[in-house]
Amino acid sequence: MSTLLQEILDHGGINVFYQPIFEIVDGKPVLFAVEALSRGPKGSNAEKPDVLFEYVRRKAKEVEVDRACVKAILSSMYMVARRALVSINVHALTLERDDQFTQYLTELCQLFRIPLKNVIMEIVEQQRYRNPARFFSNLDLLRKAGVRIAVDDIGLGYSNYRALVEIKPDLFKIDRYFVTGCGKNAHARAAIESIVLLADRLGGRVVAEGIESDDDLEAVTALGVRLVQGYHLALPQPVQTLNAVSPRNAQEVCE
Amino acid sequence: MGGMNIHLLLVDDDPTVLAALHKYFAAAGVDVDCARELEEAEAMIVSNNYDVVIADLRLSWSSVIEGLEVLRFIRRHSRQTHVIILSAHVSQDIRESADALGADAFIPKPAPLPYIAETVSRVLGRAL
Repeated sequence: MSTLLQEILDHGGINVFYQPIFEIVDGKPVLFAVEALSRGPKGSNAEKPDVLFEYVRRKAKEVEVDRACVKAILSSMYMVARRALVSINVHALTLERDDQFTQYLTELCQLFRIPLKNVIMEIVEQQRYRNPARFFSNLDLLRKAGVRIAVDDIGLGYSNYRALVEIKPDLFKIDRYFVTGCGKNAHARAAIESIVLLADRLGGRVVAEGIESDDDLEAVTALGVRLVQGYHLALPQPVQTLNAVSPRNAQEVCE
Repeated sequence: MGGMNIHLLLVDDDPTVLAALHKYFAAAGVDVDCARELEEAEAMIVSNNYDVVIADLRLSWSSVIEGLEVLRFIRRHSRQTHVIILSAHVSQDIRESADALGADAFIPKPAPLPYIAETVSRVLGRAL
């Protein structure tokens, strides 16, 4: 009998949805990047992302599954990735354990003719790595290859000031906890404002995740955030729809 | 049968057992999930709230008694979930371990499906 892990790692076991990240330019949203959101095999328990990644953690197979996700993502959306940024989640533990990860990514990008500068590696679950020297050495390899680095869930848990100062991300992704409903929450806006200032001082840009209303959008742009993501702007979508999205017609995606 | 709102997780490495139990309980209106191994069961328990988990004592040929690991995990993460252990071979030691960990019921395999359903009703204190 095949295990869930085998089904995940089999060809076609990872299904990917893509959520656009927009840049607000002259008050209008323009496609900036797409975040790849991996799901497990259709019909399995791992079709739900929380179950998928909880299971992968418990099997201690982050490296194998991260590699499978990267391959599934780049092979399914290389046409888009040649002309737009693609953000791919990677476990911090993978960067600690897999010294060949940058090489693997580089070879895939060469195969699909995707410029490495179009790839954003979004580091998740920073609490789990235990060997900072190896983590930062592999992070450095990614940077030297031209890959941009993002940190998500900023403001919560291990995405704290220390992690930001040490990782120096190109993109600071503010957690939806602070963004959704921030138009009516002065304290949440104060937290966003402080992250905008920090990103500016550290030379990065801020992405506000969880934009779910015009109010949210107006509030974060008033605080100086230019990169936005959320259901109000565009839902995660399969690659077939994504192929029609380009910076030129990003406005259509918002409507 | 009116088993609405009961959320059940079945844990067994035998797909035929899972399929039979799933069909039986789903027909009774129970919301049923299945897991084939310990880590899959744990991921489902973390991501859902189950009223009852029915776990086979052995989920692989390894020496680890994984059904007890499922029970131990539930008692750490979800105290209100009832746990029923299924097993073909139960030694007194294992039975005592399961009781000490807070198993709600033990069912020897093979067991008729209506008996398993009756046990679920009993531990929940309501009819399916």
